[in-house]
Amino acid sequence: MTPVRESITLPLTFLTVVLVGGLRLGGQVAIAPPALFSLVLASLVLGGLVQSGVLDPMRLVHSDRTAVANLNGVVALVATFAATAQVLSLLTPAAGLPSMGMSLFFLVAILQLMAGALDRPRFLRVWAVTLLAAFTLKFIVLAALSGPADGAVARALQLLFEGVTLGSVSQPIEPRASGYLAFLAIALYLLGLVLLPPAQRRALIARH
Amino acid sequence: MVRESVVRALGAAASVAYAALIAWLTVSQPQSIAEVTGGLTASIGVYRVDELAFEDGLRFFHQDQFVEARAAFHRADAAGRDPRTQFYVAYSYYREGWGRLSHDDALYAKGLEAVDRAIAVAPGGRIVVDDPGLQMHSADELRAELVAGTTREWSDVNPVRVFRGRK
Repeated sequence: MTPVRESITLPLTFLTVVLVGGLRLGGQVAIAPPALFSLVLASLVLGGLVQSGVLDPMRLVHSDRTAVANLNGVVALVATFAATAQVLSLLTPAAGLPSMGMSLFFLVAILQLMAGALDRPRFLRVWAVTLLAAFTLKFIVLAALSGPADGAVARALQLLFEGVTLGSVSQPIEPRASGYLAFLAIALYLLGLVLLPPAQRRALIARH
Repeated sequence: MVRESVVRALGAAASVAYAALIAWLTVSQPQSIAEVTGGLTASIGVYRVDELAFEDGLRFFHQDQFVEARAAFHRADAAGRDPRTQFYVAYSYYREGWGRLSHDDALYAKGLEAVDRAIAVAPGGRIVVDDPGLQMHSADELRAELVAGTTREWSDVNPVRVFRGRK
């Protein structure tokens, strides 16, 4: 991995994910820190990244490297962790049953990823699909159920749905731009994961 | 090798600065570009108010033209980082909201917000303004007056209060 990628591209990409992923465009623009449960999930994801070979922490922090290089490595690792937590927080609905359901969904998905002991390409593929599924649920399905209805039939259906679920599914209405920002954050995050230094052990074993 | 060290050092510095900026944005939650630039320049001690606009505001303030005064004060201190200007903004809400029989709670609440903002950005939270046109010279006095104006108590129905003047 080149020094430019390690010291500039990776940290700046992940930090941008933290910034963009934290933006909340309500009545007032705010930057939200990741939720506490997202930090727990992000720790598990980081474990999964190392296990699958997406990230080799030894290539970022090692006693053979210079102090500045190790500092770059630590910054890249911390930024990866923060971006992961922010993306998970971003994709978790704000309140109610969907919030709890999505947290549980992420926990089960991450545990499955780890139990599956996937290699780098498969891990990245499955993780991308998981994040996009969560994006669809929050920013398309839940937004449609919570947002203002276009016609009378849609409004009636919405009222019926709210009645059946006792209002536990409705979410605060978010501006349309939130979805686009979330998509940008996810795309940047996945790009950052691809740029992480992969484990070389598997490649060497395969060559033998 | 030297070039690599320079790139790494620059990268580390840029990343730490970027992370610090994100942390600052998260904590201070600025609502406009002026607040962002004002906050950043204030943090390195180079924030300045527009003195001409401030003088305009002061003139309007002393002529009891409070809406015009606040517009000029906002122009002078767009980021809301100058304690003296924010003190005058709060004072303008106090004077505009003051009434012999009752006060305007909404204006007093805005005044309280402004004086709290002034106290938050003042060194040591202390603001003393030496202006002979004012009867309250410190932010503490002004804040106490605004709080008293928004609090419901038995003294509110005391008929003697109609003889109290505006400060």
